[in-house]
Amino acid sequence: LGASQSIQQTYDLTRYLEHQLRTLAGTYLNYLGPPFNEPDFNPPRLARAERVPSATVDLDLWRGLTDNARLTANYRAYSRLLCYLRVLDGQVGTAELRHRLAHFCASLQGLVLSIGGVMSSLGYPLPAGPAGPPAGPPEAPPAPNDFLKKMDDFWLLKELQTWLWRSAKDFNRLKKKVPPAVVTLRLEARGF
Amino acid sequence: GLVQSCGHIIPESPVLALGSNFTALCILNESCLDFGNIYASQIIWKIKNKVVPKEQYREINRTVSSVTFNDTSSLATPLTCNILADGQIEQNIYGITVTVGLPPETPKNLSCIVHQISKLTYPMTCTWNPGRHTFLDTQFRLKYRWPRENFPDCIPKDVNNSCTIPDVQFFVNLEIWVEAANALGKAESDHLVLDPIDIVKPLSPHNVTVSSGILPTVLKLSWENRISSAVMKLKFNIRYRIDGDTNWMEVPSEDTASPRTSFSVQGLQPFTEYVFSIRCMKEDGVGYWSDWSEEKTGITTED
Repeated sequence: LGASQSIQQTYDLTRYLEHQLRTLAGTYLNYLGPPFNEPDFNPPRLARAERVPSATVDLDLWRGLTDNARLTANYRAYSRLLCYLRVLDGQVGTAELRHRLAHFCASLQGLVLSIGGVMSSLGYPLPAGPAGPPAGPPEAPPAPNDFLKKMDDFWLLKELQTWLWRSAKDFNRLKKKVPPAVVTLRLEARGF
Repeated sequence: GLVQSCGHIIPESPVLALGSNFTALCILNESCLDFGNIYASQIIWKIKNKVVPKEQYREINRTVSSVTFNDTSSLATPLTCNILADGQIEQNIYGITVTVGLPPETPKNLSCIVHQISKLTYPMTCTWNPGRHTFLDTQFRLKYRWPRENFPDCIPKDVNNSCTIPDVQFFVNLEIWVEAANALGKAESDHLVLDPIDIVKPLSPHNVTVSSGILPTVLKLSWENRISSAVMKLKFNIRYRIDGDTNWMEVPSEDTASPRTSFSVQGLQPFTEYVFSIRCMKEDGVGYWSDWSEEKTGITTED
């Protein structure tokens, strides 16, 4: 795949993940039950939640990053988010929710690979560490009680939604910066 | 039998390629030679109780006789090694089953389609031409992977030319191929590399309604799409006919070439009952048309 095609595909995948997560998060928070499924539930971010890659960034700083740095940050974040999601995926009680979480996990894994594909197509090195996401979540003490476990899940989904929202913008911007291969050829032919 | 097991045949129960040549050896046990007063020269080879012509035999030595078949097509099961012992009583020494067949051909014409079966479920069915009959137990496996991720093989059930992967992912290129294997060899189809989003056959639009408006020559169609725009944007075909008539007319495709959930059909005859049906596919034309929707009727107002 050329860089432009690879970026377009990754952008489409990010939008698709956003769509999946929008309905999936609602269903999952209902599964967690009150207060987690209440619209105005806005808890403080506990120290435990710091383990999940925070999507809160200084937008100017974020935009000031190079494409390579931003792609690397996306790649690392989703690799770690995927690990946490896989832990979620295994415990859910209802078969339908398990199926949808498994589908979403597979899509997210596809996103990690796609971002890697974009980086390769732009000539950037993949972030160090094993190819693709590590097998298990970084070492983290299990939640001492059920409420805090649910809080972990809540923050995971919240951060994921924000990451995907911003990544869609990142890839949309990147799409415009990297012309399709055909145009590139024509430019080169004219000695640009 | 009467004679304690006095020998064996090698190879033991071979699988042979049709049309190839084959040699088997019958090896007598030394212990039997002395006791039974039997020698390799007395061996008689049989296929299903039919004696193999002696010209195909060769006495290798006192205890070993070989038999050669230039074309395995004439072979059958069992192939037995027998001895004409003293007193002209023929005794069976050993027998093997012989399986004759063909190595698998390269599976051809691999093609895949993703059938949408519900809002969130997209199984992908791949079909291929398995090639000639091999007369052997031949295993087919549909294999697929992402650049750095292998998935479990899809193993066909009861057929050898199709397999369905229950849930595919969109927007990541998938490499797909078929492997065929039996005792005589292995063959692999060409590899397809595609994004499953490009081979989707969406569910047809549903909940179609037809409503008349102010103008007697216009009817408005409304419907629901069953695939999310985050998955794909759609284009449509709308066809209609006068109730009782068999000829369908179609709205020019360029008029319905973009996402929508309604359309006003114009140029109709006043006070006439029309039957409508709609189908959809991916907006860029890559993929498959859905089936036609259920038919719905509506009547234009009087002039």
